[in-house]
Amino acid sequence: MSITSRLKNRLIAKVITRYPGLAQRFITAYEPWESGEPIPWTPPRKPLKACKLALVTTSGVHHVSQTPFDMQDSEGDPSFRVIDGATIGEDYRITHDYYDHSDAEKDLNIVLPIDRLRELQQEGVIGQLAESHYSFMGHIDGRHIATLIGTTARQVADRLRRDGVDLVLLTPA
Amino acid sequence: MGLIQREIEKAGIPTVGVSIIREYSEKVQPPRTVFVKWPFGHPLGEPGNARQQRTVVLEALKALYTISTPGEIITLPFRWRRHDYSAYVEPGPLVPRGGE
Repeated sequence: MSITSRLKNRLIAKVITRYPGLAQRFITAYEPWESGEPIPWTPPRKPLKACKLALVTTSGVHHVSQTPFDMQDSEGDPSFRVIDGATIGEDYRITHDYYDHSDAEKDLNIVLPIDRLRELQQEGVIGQLAESHYSFMGHIDGRHIATLIGTTARQVADRLRRDGVDLVLLTPA
Repeated sequence: MGLIQREIEKAGIPTVGVSIIREYSEKVQPPRTVFVKWPFGHPLGEPGNARQQRTVVLEALKALYTISTPGEIITLPFRWRRHDYSAYVEPGPLVPRGGE
């Protein structure tokens, strides 16, 4: 994608964040993928105070040292980054041209509420906070949808199971 | 986001998502959703407003335990920058339906 169209995306992102009424035409222009399959369903098995919780976000957050999400591809980047909950607050970057993340750069918690969850863990409201969380960039389209569903989302689900995670909270951007 | 949520739920882990675009959640149909009519980039609210962020987190966790119809979307009653969170009553202990 050219530098001009990246700048255009960023400008649109700023404008529709400031004036949400204008967002409607972008929302109706984009058709999210529908599977037509039944909605998966797994009821919680344990009380919250005994559960290990992890975050999964599509806000494009990653550690400074990690490869940024690919913003050149207009169909997005279906890969994910493993987020270390202990250090992400001091060491994060947001790579995402499709929303205005200047507020999230001031306070990560508005897209990835890691400090709020840590407080709830310390208070005993939730049992444990997972060490690893997972981040995508969202805005996945076209050929990358199959990669997301068939490969990367499944890899994250497998990792969450290996991490012994009981519940997942997902946050967009 | 909803597509990822569906895959995690399918793998056997209960999930809840925060949504800021209701239309997408209605189409993608993730298992459980709380919706806030807030600007893009602010699913948990405003920077520095810990009480607001905590409220959304708690409401999402409550929805995880209370929603019993797959695909349900709960609209949270918080108006952007016009809600007083000091009056918010936090949920009691959250346990699986039908007891432990």
